[in-house]
Amino acid sequence: MLRKKLFNVGFEAVATVDRRPFRLADLARYPLFPPEFLDFVRRVLPSELDHDIVQTVVVTGRRPISSTPRA
Amino acid sequence: MPYFSDADARTIISTTYEKAQGSRAVAAMLYAPEELAVLPPGAVALAFGVNHPVRHAGLVRGERVLDIGCGAGIDTLLAARVVGSHGRVVGLDMTPAMLDRARGHVAEAGADNIELREGLMEALPFPDESFDVIVSNGVLNLSTRKSRALAEMLRVLRPGGRVALGDLVLTDTLPEALMKDPTALAV
Repeated sequence: MLRKKLFNVGFEAVATVDRRPFRLADLARYPLFPPEFLDFVRRVLPSELDHDIVQTVVVTGRRPISSTPRA
Repeated sequence: MPYFSDADARTIISTTYEKAQGSRAVAAMLYAPEELAVLPPGAVALAFGVNHPVRHAGLVRGERVLDIGCGAGIDTLLAARVVGSHGRVVGLDMTPAMLDRARGHVAEAGADNIELREGLMEALPFPDESFDVIVSNGVLNLSTRKSRALAEMLRVLRPGGRVALGDLVLTDTLPEALMKDPTALAV
């Protein structure tokens, strides 16, 4: 979806250059995810989805040389 | 359709991060020890990115770089070391408290090729074609107008300029109860 968004606004050579699982234990390291939220997630999210429902990626792209940006 | 307005999302993010206390836990997960060893400890402790876009940006000396959502400055500082004294890195963040922290870390590092600016990713405060490269780390996922933010990135890049974006993506649909929780806006 992110790659598609980059392509749709006008980027070219769009690629995912890194992709890794991002698990609940990783979310716990961030201030945006307090313990009560993580408890809530554990209650509503099937445990088998924890391994791959969220991934961290790096997406790269390039502005074309010969076109103007699309608004 | 986002579950949160722009204003709601900004309030949630700003109030969370201006109070944030670091632990090095995120930095240790994402960066190499030799990278962290040369950075101010405060910048390392307040790293809240989700990946390492600077590693994948292909930066070279002399380039002009924009770090969107620079936070306390860890990626800004790393990029500034690569582009060197003939390059320039601008760190942009919407939270004044984080920019204050970043200013302290930039001064502590003695980096004179960094400028810090307050602003929104959906309305970048720069002229067209201002940068060679844009990096951003765990920030685009916080926007309720991602396509607008990406269009702004395209506008301020020179033709041929590059982006490297670290982000969180979903591989499946989250339960609706979860999507309505304020913290779910991060994914």
